[in-house]
Amino acid sequence: MFKINPLRKRQFIGGVTGVLVGVVAFFMLTLESNESYVSVGPMNVGHDDISCVACHAKAKGNLLQQVQSNISHAVGARKTDVDFGTKDVTLNNCLECHDRPNDRHPTHRFSEPRFKDAIKVIDATTCITCHSEHHGERVSVATMDYCLNCHQDLSVEDDPLDVDHKTLIANKSWSTCIQCHDFHGNHKYEVPTKIKDTIPTQIIKDYFKGGVDPFGNDKKYIGLSQDEWIKKLNEK
Amino acid sequence: MKNVKQIKSTVSSLLLLGVVTLTSCNGVPEETTTAANTSNVFSVEEVLEMVAKENDITRTLYTKAIVGKGKAQGMKFDEDWRKDDVEAGPLPALFLRGVATSIKKSPVPLGLYLGSDFPINAANKFVGKQADLFNVIKKDRKPQFFYDADQKLHTAMFADVAGAGACVSCHNDHKQTSKTDWKLGDVMGATTWQYPKDSLTYKETIDVLNSYAKGTTDIYEQYLKEIDAFVNSEKPVVGKKWPSEGKYLPTAKVFLDSVKKLTAYETMKKLIASNN
Repeated sequence: MFKINPLRKRQFIGGVTGVLVGVVAFFMLTLESNESYVSVGPMNVGHDDISCVACHAKAKGNLLQQVQSNISHAVGARKTDVDFGTKDVTLNNCLECHDRPNDRHPTHRFSEPRFKDAIKVIDATTCITCHSEHHGERVSVATMDYCLNCHQDLSVEDDPLDVDHKTLIANKSWSTCIQCHDFHGNHKYEVPTKIKDTIPTQIIKDYFKGGVDPFGNDKKYIGLSQDEWIKKLNEK
Repeated sequence: MKNVKQIKSTVSSLLLLGVVTLTSCNGVPEETTTAANTSNVFSVEEVLEMVAKENDITRTLYTKAIVGKGKAQGMKFDEDWRKDDVEAGPLPALFLRGVATSIKKSPVPLGLYLGSDFPINAANKFVGKQADLFNVIKKDRKPQFFYDADQKLHTAMFADVAGAGACVSCHNDHKQTSKTDWKLGDVMGATTWQYPKDSLTYKETIDVLNSYAKGTTDIYEQYLKEIDAFVNSEKPVVGKKWPSEGKYLPTAKVFLDSVKKLTAYETMKKLIASNN
């Protein structure tokens, strides 16, 4: 079918070998057992047993259709573009397993206009601001003082704490918030009433990095496992 | 010269192959709306007024008939009602927050929030534009509308009036309250509603109303579920009767039916007016 110039034979063999290696590599890397080679980083705490497709669902159409649709969109031949390869990961992906009725800081509350300055500093309308995936950790915020963005005016009557909340705020001791209260309010534990009994900041830092949970393991709601999530999807 | 010709023909063939390949199959089907019911018949202001009215009636019914009468029967309502060691129902503000959470989980892009200038929780205090408009609402009690350019959302604020004795007494007596002289009829706060479009089709309007109604059912059912888990407190009998008759609570369906009876006339009047 093709006439190969003898001088180009090596080039041809190299080309064919390259294509074959590429096809095999593509096939191997799309196997579920080899997902760790494709992942951009280690999964966060609690997500070790989750496969890629749990969050990165296949986008509509095949690759060719997606390319065609996006080119059409680029030249103005269709109104909307389409996801390429996999669907974008959104807040709803997280909430499918982690939605809890008792969440004291649900993401949707921060969409209210009065939080617009706060979310410029820390965008609490989405999970990944604090829980960035593929870092092998639990919480990815740089500092522990994020409560200052909304709770500057906090005042607690009959304050049960030995150093009252007003004083802590006046002293800008913002790390003490997380040393007593878990952000989402899902742990069942006794909140300390003495500053000396609060969780040391280093232990909180370790917890953020994926270490032992200092608030304990007694939680009202537990995130769904992949099997439970699939079961829930099938029930819909 | 011959080489240049060959390269040109190869490139042309590849381009042709590319174009044929790209156009030989249809792209990903574009999501389009059906022709029926697509004309926008309501402004966002009209729809938010409709759903805010339903919210007023729902909240007043819950506050008066469930919280107010329920307390007289010894039932408890608490801000920590979701905690396992607290055997109580949601306070009216938390009932509204439950509705808002349910709406957010629905595909309807409606936002609902509650705030005040004297909230129990300081984090719920209005600031900025909302605080300015709330001052206007307190004077004339009329809804305020604005476009939130940051979020690209049409926003409306409606007065939240103390319509039941339970509102006033609970807020005045709460140990975290920042105001102790609330009276019946006071504007205690405002609800804020947001929607992304400036006008809605009939179907979108019905979706908004239905998502609010579903939110009511969801939070009420969560309350009944909490009651089911009571260990130390007497459980009210859940059925057709109301707390005004004794230690009873209506089912979610009975509660929502009552809401519908109270709201149907006003809502239907507006829905029908759109066809004239």
